[in-house]
Amino acid sequence: MTLLTHELRLLLRSRMALLALLLVALLAAASVAAGMAEVARQRDVIARIQPKQAQDMAAVAQWAAETKDPGTAAYYSFHATWDTPSPLAFAALGLRDVAPYILRVRALGLEAQLYDGEAFNPELALPGRFDFSFVLVYLTPLFVIALFHDLVSGEREAGRLRMLDALTGSGRSLWRRRVLLRGGLLFLALAAPLTIGAIQSAVPLPTLLSVQGLVALYLAFWIGVTLLVGRMRWSSVANAATLAGIWLVLTLILPTIAHVAINRLIPVGEGVELTLAQREAVNRAWDIPRADTMRAFYAGHPEWKDSPPLTDAFHYKWYFAFHQVGDESVAPKVAAYRNGIEARDTAARGIGWLLPSVGVQAALTRLANTDMAAQLAYQDRIRAFHEKLRNFYYRYLFTDTPFEKDDFDRAPTFVGGA
Amino acid sequence: MSLTATGQRIILSDVHLSYGSQRVLRGLSLHVDAGEIYALLGGNGAGKSTTMSALLGFARPDSGTILVAGHDPIAQADKARDQIAYVPENVALYEHLTARENAAYLLALAGRHPAPQDIDGAFEATGLQTSAWDKRMGGFSKGMRQKVAIAIALLRAVPVLLLDEPSSGLDPRATADFNRLVHDVARRGAAVLMVTHDLLSAADIADRIGFLESGRIIDEAAAQGADRFDVRDLHRKFAREAVTA
Repeated sequence: MTLLTHELRLLLRSRMALLALLLVALLAAASVAAGMAEVARQRDVIARIQPKQAQDMAAVAQWAAETKDPGTAAYYSFHATWDTPSPLAFAALGLRDVAPYILRVRALGLEAQLYDGEAFNPELALPGRFDFSFVLVYLTPLFVIALFHDLVSGEREAGRLRMLDALTGSGRSLWRRRVLLRGGLLFLALAAPLTIGAIQSAVPLPTLLSVQGLVALYLAFWIGVTLLVGRMRWSSVANAATLAGIWLVLTLILPTIAHVAINRLIPVGEGVELTLAQREAVNRAWDIPRADTMRAFYAGHPEWKDSPPLTDAFHYKWYFAFHQVGDESVAPKVAAYRNGIEARDTAARGIGWLLPSVGVQAALTRLANTDMAAQLAYQDRIRAFHEKLRNFYYRYLFTDTPFEKDDFDRAPTFVGGA
Repeated sequence: MSLTATGQRIILSDVHLSYGSQRVLRGLSLHVDAGEIYALLGGNGAGKSTTMSALLGFARPDSGTILVAGHDPIAQADKARDQIAYVPENVALYEHLTARENAAYLLALAGRHPAPQDIDGAFEATGLQTSAWDKRMGGFSKGMRQKVAIAIALLRAVPVLLLDEPSSGLDPRATADFNRLVHDVARRGAAVLMVTHDLLSAADIADRIGFLESGRIIDEAAAQGADRFDVRDLHRKFAREAVTA
């Protein structure tokens, strides 16, 4: 029987160690299952939106085609966009629980449509999602503490340390073996459910290996912390209390302080403020000469400047033009908002180099494509699609081309991301 | 264990050792030969535990020479410890392992991998009841735990056995059993050094008794004849040591 087998038997005979390992495995499995269920639900919603979208378009086409008015067609037709979850999203849901992953847009001003999703109930988002990243970042350190806080002090308190030290070869190699065994079993308890989930979700191997690497590094960090505290030769109780304090500071207090500090140092308005600003700009168009609006529009879109002049009658091209001018009038604010969000994100990632809990979460959400960058990328895809959509309808609106029923089939379709 | 070599297995020569400003050993000199049982008798604070620590390489002497089976316990810690079986005052083994599992594990830590029948043989030699061999050690008495520890020492077949207050807390019958075991180990050629403050136990078991006071041997008595020691004389020596200490 090898020494490792002896150590394994010794460890597994300890009820507390066995319970801790089983609990980690159970929590990891539950979090993977919960994450996969949430991702499956989101995928299902995304899958259902497409036939519904086709039905909706068919209904709009049915009566809009009667007028052959491209404005009516553009005004009443909503076009679905969606952000397909990545294969790894189950492990770190990130912003997907608060940011919209489906948005139906029209060719009207986009800024007012983009932030409709921010009107969720914040209290519902407060507890966050129970996913693998939560188990890893917040709960796993507690199990590391449970398994490692008395690694040496426990032997000292039991009166075995002197005897163990007196046995040849039992010095460093004994502790190294015990650390590797406990760390290895913890890794296994976390990585096994994750790997099963990843295989079922068709996560690419390099991504899976990266996540497993992160798990190993995070475990190594906390094991290192427990070993450092263990070197102080305090009692097991003192070790556990100190480590619990360190856990509280590193995973809860410091990240919260950092979050507040970043928000203070990099002020960013709410997305809904952009909506209001855009709405104000749009509404002002009703009070100013329509020619002013068209002049402003043609300045930015000279390709349509040869469009027939407006008459006294209502024309949708004016309506769509002032929406676009409204969007353009808030463009500096939109850019500032985005720069602010990106700056906060960059700062948070910087903090991640100092606070492993923040860093691991940031890395996991990056790998899972569920972080702020992914959300902004989805927004970029919506903007690109919206531009195509506008240009599609502009071709009819600004040339007074009748919009036939078949023309709906020529409308651009959104290509899902991720 | 089949050690036949003779010679001095434990040597302490003019050893001085301090903890900070506190001088604990002040010129301690003694030697223990192969097959000999030496009892180091001393009161509290005489330096018994420090002597044990120095022999195990846990405490570094300021000066003097220490050799365990020819090895310096500090400079050649691994080699020296490989030659030592150490039985602490309170033998604490793993309570959730059986006696057999404890023996197999601790021997494996020391680089020994005896066959199961060898472990059984050692347990038999120590007089540990057969029914206890496969029981978890949580409910073992001190005497039973010492028997397991001695069985491990037997299986390691080392030339040096260090015993730290072995008889404290043992009833007379368990003490007699233990003494028989230690004699058995010494008969096989091991040098046995026990530190104790139990004069009668030392007189029962030792071939020589060293009286330790303030970190040095102030007197020594060797067993002679069938009566071995004059216990009254030992008492006088120990009492004098206790008074002067």
